[in-house]
Amino acid sequence: MNGHETYETLAAVYAVGALDGDDLAQFEVHLAEGCQPCATALRESREALARLALGDTRAVPPAEVKSALMARIGTAPRAAARPSRAGWLTWAAATAAVVALAAMLTSGIVASRYEARLGQMAREMAAERERLQREEAALELLRDPATRVVELRSPSGSNAIARVIWNDKAGGHLIVSNLPPAPEGKAYELWALGGAQPRPAGLFQVDASGRVAQKVEAGGEPPKGFAVTLEPATGVPAPTGPIVMASR
Amino acid sequence: MTTAGEEFIRRMAAGDRDAFGHFYDRYAPLVFPLILRIVRDRTDAADVLQEVFWEAWQGASGYDPVRGTPEAWMITRARTRAIDRIRAVRRRSETFVPPVDEGLAPASPEPGGDAAERAEDRGVIRTALNQLPHAQREVIELAYYAGLTQTEISARLQQPLGTVKTRIRLGLERLRDVVRRAT
Repeated sequence: MNGHETYETLAAVYAVGALDGDDLAQFEVHLAEGCQPCATALRESREALARLALGDTRAVPPAEVKSALMARIGTAPRAAARPSRAGWLTWAAATAAVVALAAMLTSGIVASRYEARLGQMAREMAAERERLQREEAALELLRDPATRVVELRSPSGSNAIARVIWNDKAGGHLIVSNLPPAPEGKAYELWALGGAQPRPAGLFQVDASGRVAQKVEAGGEPPKGFAVTLEPATGVPAPTGPIVMASR
Repeated sequence: MTTAGEEFIRRMAAGDRDAFGHFYDRYAPLVFPLILRIVRDRTDAADVLQEVFWEAWQGASGYDPVRGTPEAWMITRARTRAIDRIRAVRRRSETFVPPVDEGLAPASPEPGGDAAERAEDRGVIRTALNQLPHAQREVIELAYYAGLTQTEISARLQQPLGTVKTRIRLGLERLRDVVRRAT
């Protein structure tokens, strides 16, 4: 059987509006796939049927229809740029079929993809908000005359640098640059120095560019200085690893 | 070249109510006879006519001249709406099937260039349907004017589905030939 001849027959039946069942679905998919010969045949058939219909002029439309319409369009808000529903649907069957199929096949996928994207955006926004709050808090801390900035340098002479913005009452912020990421299973740990023992002041990791900024909780004796050591990723209560940075 | 009808639709899409008035004056007399022929009740036909033009106003921005003339756009819409109406009636009454309209009265000639010219074409095209073999004309009328589907036509005429499809196709091909020759 000639494959496309079947469609030519379906196109004719479709044009007179009589296609139904599987044939209808099959033909609409075929049209939606962009078959130009079928689209052209359909257009020509519709033009021919229109010409046929236009030949009948026995009935004159009732006058009140126009006045009703003019009143209706004069008052009703207009749904601009929105193709009307069923008339155009039949007319633009290709488009309609594409839309319907796309909706059926992909709405679930699209919805879940958007949900995932929305979730990601929400997380990104929360992270941004947190970062902004941290920076604002650091800035606010710098306005306080009691706040000092302590600089930490690498004993090995690398260009890694950290600053602790510290306020004995409010705590502080650690800002690190140029520090290589900790090896697998390791983390950097900040220590507040000055008491009998170094006080653990927070574990941190740096990003790929060697930077991090994080809050340091207040507490303990007012520190005289700070140091950073390399420790197991879970952190330790007292320093065990090598000192990577320290204040003078 | 943009036809007057296309220009009206373009202006309607921009919200021009005067253009809609002109569009109605031009196309309502063309589509109303088809609607009346299908629904057969003047009050129903007036409802459908109003709905069809309301949709045209609402959907003017969706008109694409590449897909067809304003005449075909409106006739296709009118036919669809009218069939919707009779199918709804048929669902309510279950058994009602409008009879096929035989023997049309000739169109009254209209004065004036464009209309007269169109009336002349109409003569040729109208006879085209009458010239079709009865079996082809019958299936096209049952589908296009009575709104029966291929399956319903097959059952009603007690003919195989394939035969119905082929008759529709052959009849439509002949109609298209006549229109092509007349234009």
